[in-house]
Amino acid sequence: MTVFHFFNCAILTFGPHAVYYSATPLSEYDTLGTSVKAALVYLGTALIKLVCLATFLNVSENDSFDPYQELLKALIGFIDVAGLYFALTQLTHRNISQNHKFQAVGLGWAFADSVLHRLAPLWVGARGLEFTWDYILQGLEANANLVLSISLAALGSLMWLRKNKPRTLIPIIYICAGIVATMPSITSYLRRGLGWHLPKVVGFELFTSLVMAFISWQLFATCQRPST
Amino acid sequence: MATRKGREGEMLESVYSVIALVFVLVACVELCDAATVVDVYRLIQYDLAGVPFGSRLANLNHHAASGFAPAADLSRTVVIVPVRDVNITFIGDYITQKQPLGGLLFLLPRMISSDNRDDMGRGDQTFEEKLMRNLLGELEQLLIHASIPYPVYFAFEDDNIDDVLTDIKRNDATSQPATATTGGYKLVVSAPEPKKIVSPTITNIQGWLPGLKVDGDANQLPTIAIVASYDTFGAAPALSVGSDSNGSGVVALLEIARLFSLLYSNPKTRGRYNLLFGLTSGGPYNYNGTHKWLRSFDQRLRESIDYAICLNSIGSWDNELWIHVSKPPENAYIKQMFEGFTEVAEELGLKVGLKHKKINISNPRVAWEHEQFSRLRVTAATLSELSVAPELLERTGGLSDSRHFLNEAAIIRSIKLVAESLARHIYGHEGKNIQIFADDSSLAVNPSYIQSWLHLLSRTPRVAPFCSKNDPFILALKKELADHTVEVNVQHEVLDGMFTFYDSTKARLNIYQVASVTFDLLLLLVLGSYLIVLFSFLVITTRGLDDLISLFRRPPSRKLKTA
Repeated sequence: MTVFHFFNCAILTFGPHAVYYSATPLSEYDTLGTSVKAALVYLGTALIKLVCLATFLNVSENDSFDPYQELLKALIGFIDVAGLYFALTQLTHRNISQNHKFQAVGLGWAFADSVLHRLAPLWVGARGLEFTWDYILQGLEANANLVLSISLAALGSLMWLRKNKPRTLIPIIYICAGIVATMPSITSYLRRGLGWHLPKVVGFELFTSLVMAFISWQLFATCQRPST
Repeated sequence: MATRKGREGEMLESVYSVIALVFVLVACVELCDAATVVDVYRLIQYDLAGVPFGSRLANLNHHAASGFAPAADLSRTVVIVPVRDVNITFIGDYITQKQPLGGLLFLLPRMISSDNRDDMGRGDQTFEEKLMRNLLGELEQLLIHASIPYPVYFAFEDDNIDDVLTDIKRNDATSQPATATTGGYKLVVSAPEPKKIVSPTITNIQGWLPGLKVDGDANQLPTIAIVASYDTFGAAPALSVGSDSNGSGVVALLEIARLFSLLYSNPKTRGRYNLLFGLTSGGPYNYNGTHKWLRSFDQRLRESIDYAICLNSIGSWDNELWIHVSKPPENAYIKQMFEGFTEVAEELGLKVGLKHKKINISNPRVAWEHEQFSRLRVTAATLSELSVAPELLERTGGLSDSRHFLNEAAIIRSIKLVAESLARHIYGHEGKNIQIFADDSSLAVNPSYIQSWLHLLSRTPRVAPFCSKNDPFILALKKELADHTVEVNVQHEVLDGMFTFYDSTKARLNIYQVASVTFDLLLLLVLGSYLIVLFSFLVITTRGLDDLISLFRRPPSRKLKTA
């Protein structure tokens, strides 16, 4: 019965990635290779981030919100952005359009993130007899992360791959990218500084991910118009 | 194209096999993530002359309930019963009618726990505490003499388990009891299968304090023996600390040994009697240990014993003690001994009564320790607060016998009584108003010594079959006697075959809060519909509504085309 619960949480956490791949034209253009490469770039980025965190961060005794430590963590979080830049621009992809490239990279990025951060706790924890809501909330968080990753990839491709952007929209693009990139710091501030519980934090993440996805969709659409 | 696909297929297969191997390895990870883990103590399991008694199972893996629902099937539930609210007649009927049950968990009040720091054995108990003591005694007798085919465990009330119980009660009040489909709490105890204890050992410890032998005295000096049995028997062997039966006797014996060793250390004050101190085991089992100890005696030693005093339960009386004898009271020796005791008792302000109980040689039941002496024609008596002989396995230091119900002042008075009477007999001061062990003298009874030994005894379960030969407690007793006496001997024997014991007395209980199967099915349904909605949404937004419809219409259109 508890393997049942593990199965449920697993399809909540990893199902949307598979559904996204098969539902959108990504599957028709066979962009699996791009996603796999993006996942590998994420692995490398995660390793570098770990090393930086271990070198520069002090471990605090209590679970409070320390502004300097959080600032340092945010700066290290920008390594994420650098990794995404590398995945979008430096890797050689097959001949796929801009539209699908950022989706594939975002999908691979989010899938690697879910597997790395959520598979092991899920396997060890959800199989036990004890029931908690944590793993379901974790799955919802993975969904929000997927949306955020795709929007960040969209904004990134707008920033670095598209040469002819309307002048007025450039600052907005950068601001949105900044917000999405600092989402981890914002959530940790909510959890530790304001003391929000996990369901509230997950709800906030879902809401902001939908909002940011909508905004970046609109931005992408408006930037697309001049070229078509 | 085909070869490339073949190679890709092979690669995929090897990848799948690696993933499968990883999963198999990871599946070996052991899980232990219970919300609450509690120490539990199992009901004793023993056979008496082949007849099984006690709880026959140790493993537990069932849902928890808080009461006996009248018409429900409880064969797969564990009922949690706080001892405060137990209805003895109901449980008694339930057990004797052999009604099915998954398991029983009794919650004991914290005050009888040996970890309880705020009990000092004052002896003044409230009415509720007296009720609780009686209730525990009754419950214990009921459980010991029944054969129960499911596991029975005892645990102490604490905050965690109290919360769990209130939760279960609330759930039971609103809906039907917890089963696999309605969620609730699950109690899991994974204990090894109980095995018979082969050759349980009983250990007797004796200390010898020789008297003063004057030159030219060819005869053997007479001996006085002071004996107490130190082992216990109870419903939960891991909790049978027996503070009164017979921790009080052991402490008294040690203190008397200490006082007399002070007197005997100086040849000028050494008496003309040898003193033999005996700490015997096997008390609850018809004083089997005493019997074996006496049989091991040299004939001359046995004949030199003037009389023996056995101490049994002298820790919770108010102002009356009893001396039990098996020789008729008109016997000269008995009369002399009793008069000596009465004299001292009057001075101390307490009353001593004499009770005579004939022994029946053909009856294997030995109710008092002195009867083992009497069967070998040695004059002996037992000093006890009990006026009637206890039955087999009754008053043997079980659940209700905790430090909380003990009266230290009573023990001190008993020690004064015995020590003073013995000393007057040894030094020939009968009838004289001399206090040898007066308070504020160097020979005063030491209350802190008594307290520290009582403290140790109240934390040490001493059921003989579960004590090994080299149990640290036995070694501690031996060392203590060696400090006070000249010669110490330890005798290891095997408990007689009438009793057979089974191990597995202590375990850890895991309490899990589980979700029901219906919840998981519901969740699966919700997730399935969510994924389907997400799929349709994505297809509509990226490829258009026609594509979604075409997904469902494809087979017919293909048939049309081929046709």
